[in-house]
Amino acid sequence: MATESRNALVRDERTGYERLAAATVGLSGVLFAVALAALLEIVRITDPVAGIPMVAVLGGLVTLSGVAVIGFGLASRRGRIATVPQESAGIVAAVAFTGLWFCAGGLVASQTLGLSGPLWLVPAVAAGAVAFAGTALPREDIGSTAPAGAVAVLVGLSLLTGFIGSNWSWPLGGFNATLFADVVVPFLVMTSALVTGWAAAKTYGGYGARGRHVGAYVLIYLVVLAILGVLVGLIMFVVLKGAPGLFRGFGLLTDGALVRWPFLTNGAGLLADVKGIFPAIVGTVWLVVGAVLVAVPTGVGAAVFLAEYAEQGRFTQVVEVATNGLWSTPSIVFGLFGAAFLIPRFGNQKSIIAGQLTLGFMLLPLVLITSREALLAVPDEYRDASAALGVSKWQTIRSVVLPAAIPGVTTGVILGVGRIAGETAPILLTTGGGVLPAKGSAAAVLGSFQLSASPPFVSNPALLDASSALPYQLFALITAGLGGVPNPEQFAWGVALTLLLVVLSFYAIGIATRYYFRRKLHQ
Amino acid sequence: MSQPDTTTPNEGNRTDDRGLTTTAGESREEGRAEWTDYSFAGASKLSVEDLEVHYGDDHALKGVSMDIPEESVTALIGPSGCGKSTFLRCLNRMNDRIRAARVDGTVELDGEDVYRDGVDLVELRKRVGMVFQAPNPFPKSIRENIAYGPRKHGDVRTGLLARLTGRDDSEEEEQLVEQSLRQAALWDEVKDRLDDNALGLSGGQQQRLCIARCLAVGPEVILMDEPASALDPVATSKIEDLIEALAQDYTVVVVTHNMQQAARISDQTAVFLTGGELVEYDDTETIFEDPESQRVEDYVSGKFG
Repeated sequence: MATESRNALVRDERTGYERLAAATVGLSGVLFAVALAALLEIVRITDPVAGIPMVAVLGGLVTLSGVAVIGFGLASRRGRIATVPQESAGIVAAVAFTGLWFCAGGLVASQTLGLSGPLWLVPAVAAGAVAFAGTALPREDIGSTAPAGAVAVLVGLSLLTGFIGSNWSWPLGGFNATLFADVVVPFLVMTSALVTGWAAAKTYGGYGARGRHVGAYVLIYLVVLAILGVLVGLIMFVVLKGAPGLFRGFGLLTDGALVRWPFLTNGAGLLADVKGIFPAIVGTVWLVVGAVLVAVPTGVGAAVFLAEYAEQGRFTQVVEVATNGLWSTPSIVFGLFGAAFLIPRFGNQKSIIAGQLTLGFMLLPLVLITSREALLAVPDEYRDASAALGVSKWQTIRSVVLPAAIPGVTTGVILGVGRIAGETAPILLTTGGGVLPAKGSAAAVLGSFQLSASPPFVSNPALLDASSALPYQLFALITAGLGGVPNPEQFAWGVALTLLLVVLSFYAIGIATRYYFRRKLHQ
Repeated sequence: MSQPDTTTPNEGNRTDDRGLTTTAGESREEGRAEWTDYSFAGASKLSVEDLEVHYGDDHALKGVSMDIPEESVTALIGPSGCGKSTFLRCLNRMNDRIRAARVDGTVELDGEDVYRDGVDLVELRKRVGMVFQAPNPFPKSIRENIAYGPRKHGDVRTGLLARLTGRDDSEEEEQLVEQSLRQAALWDEVKDRLDDNALGLSGGQQQRLCIARCLAVGPEVILMDEPASALDPVATSKIEDLIEALAQDYTVVVVTHNMQQAARISDQTAVFLTGGELVEYDDTETIFEDPESQRVEDYVSGKFG
């Protein structure tokens, strides 16, 4: 290759083999998506497709993609299609296929051939070695297609022939667990779709530098798809499980009200027709609001001191290490601090204000860290420009530096609120009230402010009362109190979904705030 | 370098025996006092005497003395690292913002030493404004950028409190914004979008906005640190025209590494050469046509630097 490696400058957009390769990439993508859906139980591998069992359909398609990929490699090697392969597929691909084939060889040897003891290592090592040689030694077009296609053909045939059928299972000896087909089949299909998609994409790019680029692109997209799939799957799971509980007794335009939503507006008192979690929602909202009110002014203030006034040096380094350590402190430790230190100072009983302060202390380090980073990221040109106009340092910070840092500060608060809103341990130790509180016990913080003529002039008994909160109620329902409501499991999932929605709506508020200030700064 | 070795006395000689080095041929130190002794007809706005600046161990500026006449353009030229920007930043005490910097000597603004104890930095920087190399508008609207200084100094009062107490200066502010933008030759380009973010302007417009922002505070002296070096030729020529126009009412001091620019816009030119020394200071014409120092002649004719 040292002599001449020039290719045509302009590629004809769609030749026949490129269409075929693109179709194979598409097929692999579809297989990957279907397998992902099966893994998340959105589709079932036992369902028949047009009269044929799903497993067999998947097997056939996987085999097809494997054969196609092998065909591409051969066609390229024999010069039937115009590609520019390099000398070898490279060491990374070789190591990956070695690992894949080592597992395949070992599993076939121990499970199918039934080799006992360490004998399974022999076929495993042999398969790995062959795969390594087959990937690294031949030219790139063979090296990156043959091992990939062979994986797909092996998987496809074992599915197609019913060797691994929908009733297949594999007891794992040492782990006291059994792998069933509804996990193994999607996993196998995903693996082979990943390698055939990669190999077909390389063919589409004509191997060489462009082929590697396209191959990596497809791999990355499939992995991102998997991550999104897990995320969406998780949320869908909670939504599907929680919706019946959340919407129990839900109705529009009934009883003269616009919306009747008993799960959100009722308590769990004896007389409530549909048991609800109103007190817990109110508790969570007040806890988060209080924690933000404690943490944001102190955190931002400390960040201003550290970023703008303190000399960067040993002291600021120590503070940085301390705040990082504080952020990674387990929440139960914060909870114990709250229980042992705050509760005796606030009426000697669990109270909202003790929980607010505890959660505020938990939130403080993250607000401090992110605000400090945001302040340090504000360009010095702004400070210089302001100083050259004769504006004092504090006015500069207030009018130029802080506004420019607001988006970063908001990001920190969003992340922190997401964490503290779902915290259970500190609430358990500092705030937690009854397991199934009635509506009347919801914390009426706004209505309980009382003025008095003597210090401290303002008091609020509601803040000094215990209260429920969503994560705490969920925890309590699971550990102790499943008997108090008619359909406890449905009720608990409803609480979980509500907690998710409350946290997501805090996120939404934060993201909208950040968006607003970013627009204002940059337009 | 084409100049003979004898014109660059070695380091040891110079520091041991300041100003009295006698090497064959031209001695920088001997002539220096004479070359920098520039006399002019008008009044002097800024008068610098024996200015020394150290950054830690680094001796950045060595005994610079010069008088800057009012209502004129003074150009400071020289190769990189010669101390011309350091000198400029001493004139409004921006070097105070650098912790390691130590400044000795006097800088008199209308006869008052700005490095004396008890000098009000706010007042000093109101009177001696500064424009930086890279345009640095705040991420605010054009109007807010211009009104920023006057608002912070309490010269115009706006906002809720001002409206409630009936002392709202919105109209004055409006006039000030228009006047400053007109002075900076930017008004016609931005008058319809004063509430747009200043970061949406082009680089040249941003730099003129920065000049307008500086003018809005009502300075007497405007310091410019290579104000056009980040701009394209068209924007540069606009800035140059602006500088010449500003010299009618303001004392302008411009640092530039572009000798043609200095020749075009300035009335007098000070040449700094490596080592933080002011070598020659005279009418721009004299500096570029017939400088007294051989090194300055080499520099302005492009033989080094």
